[in-house]
Amino acid sequence: MKEDRMPAERYVMGLFSDEDQAAAVAADLPNTPWKLARVHSPIPSHKLAQVLKVKKSAVGWFTLAGGIIGFFTGFLLAIFTATRWGLIVSGKPVVSLIPFFIVGFEFTILFAVFGNVIGLITQTDLPDYGGLQHYDPRCSGSHFGVLAACSEDGQAELEDYFRRKGGQARVFEA
Amino acid sequence: MSELTYATIDQTVLQTLEKPRPGYWAAVAVLAGGILLGAACWLYQIFVGIGVGGQNNPVAWGTYLINFVFWVGIAHSGTLISAILHLFRAGWRNPIARAAETMTVFAVCTAGLFPFIHLGRVWAVYYMLPYPNQRTLWPNFQSPLMFDVVAISTYLTVSSLFWYTGMLPDLATVRDRATGLRKKVFTVISLGWTGKHEQWRHYTRGYLFFAALATPLVISVHSVVSWDFALGVVPGWHTTIFAPYFVAGAIHSGLAMVLTLMIPLRHIFHYEKIITVDVLENVAKTIILTGMIVGFAYATEFFIAWYSFNTVEIEVFRYRMLGDYRVGFWIMVVCNTIIPLLFFFKKIRTSIRWLFGLSLLVNVGMWFERFVIIITSVARDFIPHAWGLYAPTAIEFGIMLGSFCLFFFLFLLFVKHLPSVSMTEIKETLHEGGPHAG
Repeated sequence: MKEDRMPAERYVMGLFSDEDQAAAVAADLPNTPWKLARVHSPIPSHKLAQVLKVKKSAVGWFTLAGGIIGFFTGFLLAIFTATRWGLIVSGKPVVSLIPFFIVGFEFTILFAVFGNVIGLITQTDLPDYGGLQHYDPRCSGSHFGVLAACSEDGQAELEDYFRRKGGQARVFEA
Repeated sequence: MSELTYATIDQTVLQTLEKPRPGYWAAVAVLAGGILLGAACWLYQIFVGIGVGGQNNPVAWGTYLINFVFWVGIAHSGTLISAILHLFRAGWRNPIARAAETMTVFAVCTAGLFPFIHLGRVWAVYYMLPYPNQRTLWPNFQSPLMFDVVAISTYLTVSSLFWYTGMLPDLATVRDRATGLRKKVFTVISLGWTGKHEQWRHYTRGYLFFAALATPLVISVHSVVSWDFALGVVPGWHTTIFAPYFVAGAIHSGLAMVLTLMIPLRHIFHYEKIITVDVLENVAKTIILTGMIVGFAYATEFFIAWYSFNTVEIEVFRYRMLGDYRVGFWIMVVCNTIIPLLFFFKKIRTSIRWLFGLSLLVNVGMWFERFVIIITSVARDFIPHAWGLYAPTAIEFGIMLGSFCLFFFLFLLFVKHLPSVSMTEIKETLHEGGPHAG
């Protein structure tokens, strides 16, 4: 599910101490007049991921790309520096692929990790200080937060809906 | 663990970040004094020359290399606990993973100082970096010492990024409960993490890849360190067993250091409900395994020396056991292979005092393992007229003390300023039902 960044008049967050309640609300919201914006949780939740039909992350492709680039960078760096010397030591060829594999391996891991970090940053849009605007600090503690967008008129009804489902409601200005 | 709730987990961990008592600052001051002493010794060495250390012909690698290998070894179990056990879904690693990862980062930093110290002319350290220069002189990547530069810097970078990424949700938890300057600082360093489902989607995947990449890295790094020795022709070093032997030894020492750090941490910060005796017991059981691997490696070295019928190899191993450094050898054998067997007794591995005491002894034993490997082989290699003895000087002891103080100093700063237990992972463990849930 993609995050909804459509302009709305009001955002109301339902805060649930129980994961199942939050998942039930997230599943039910598409059948209501309100629009599900996003869900916050203190832990990665499989139930919420199932309900929201979360797709597989693309971070792995960045990791793979980084690893491939690193492998060739490591080998090429070692080959390049060896050819600058051009000295035969202990009868070994100047371009000795076996010792250079170690450099290639370490660079593979290093660049794969760089790719992983770049993937994480770009995919999660971090740093995202603007995201704190419609966020309740309880979501990093013991609550699951379901954020929904509504019109000004529908706010009271949405608040009531969250309460009926067993949660608390918090209103944010859009 | 069953008495815990999300709220009590947060409360217990966040309490550790409250204003410290005077005893904390006293400990920090003592350690800072030790660091200054080490720095003064290093400064003296820079001014006077590397000769103020005891390294000389034939023993050119003394405590600087011993401590380098020792600290790299300590760094290894952090990645074992945080990455390898994560891949195996071993839930018991969650309460200690953060502190173990931190130990890794600080131990690699400490280890990384020693090649600089051992250089003597430390200002020429940039020679190791491959960059265009007027000397047209490039590093030779056929040298195991250059493998080391690449491996250790990769390990430091990867473990630091892994550590920081793993901490992101917890930094947000601290941010959400902090006030004043601390709130501002944690707002910046938590990068606006809000735990929204889109963030978790990518984060869990990224974290898994981190663990998958750190696992072969940790094995490669100590293998590379072992090749500093094994690729030389020195008797006692030139052996194919070194890579797995060093990796097992590294994890052995690192696990012992985990116990050494966790037990006071658990006591001081009242982590008893989070870092349960079961968790410490599992570390002790792993130490039995690594101790037996290390013991097997020691025995294999002796067997191969005897079986090879190589007189030089036989003499080196006879010398290790019965020669000038025999005390170090027997400390190594007893502390690393016999003492861990005491953990077979449940009473011992569930007693906090025994765990702490034995972990200290394993640390001592592992330091002596590096001493025995590095010193005895070069002190008595091929040519009898070139044999010689080595003893560390006061300057070397000062630098060594400084390195230990630096490690514990950084760890003390960490436990009071950042969450020393991963709140998110403990909540996950709780969520999935029970102390060993993965």
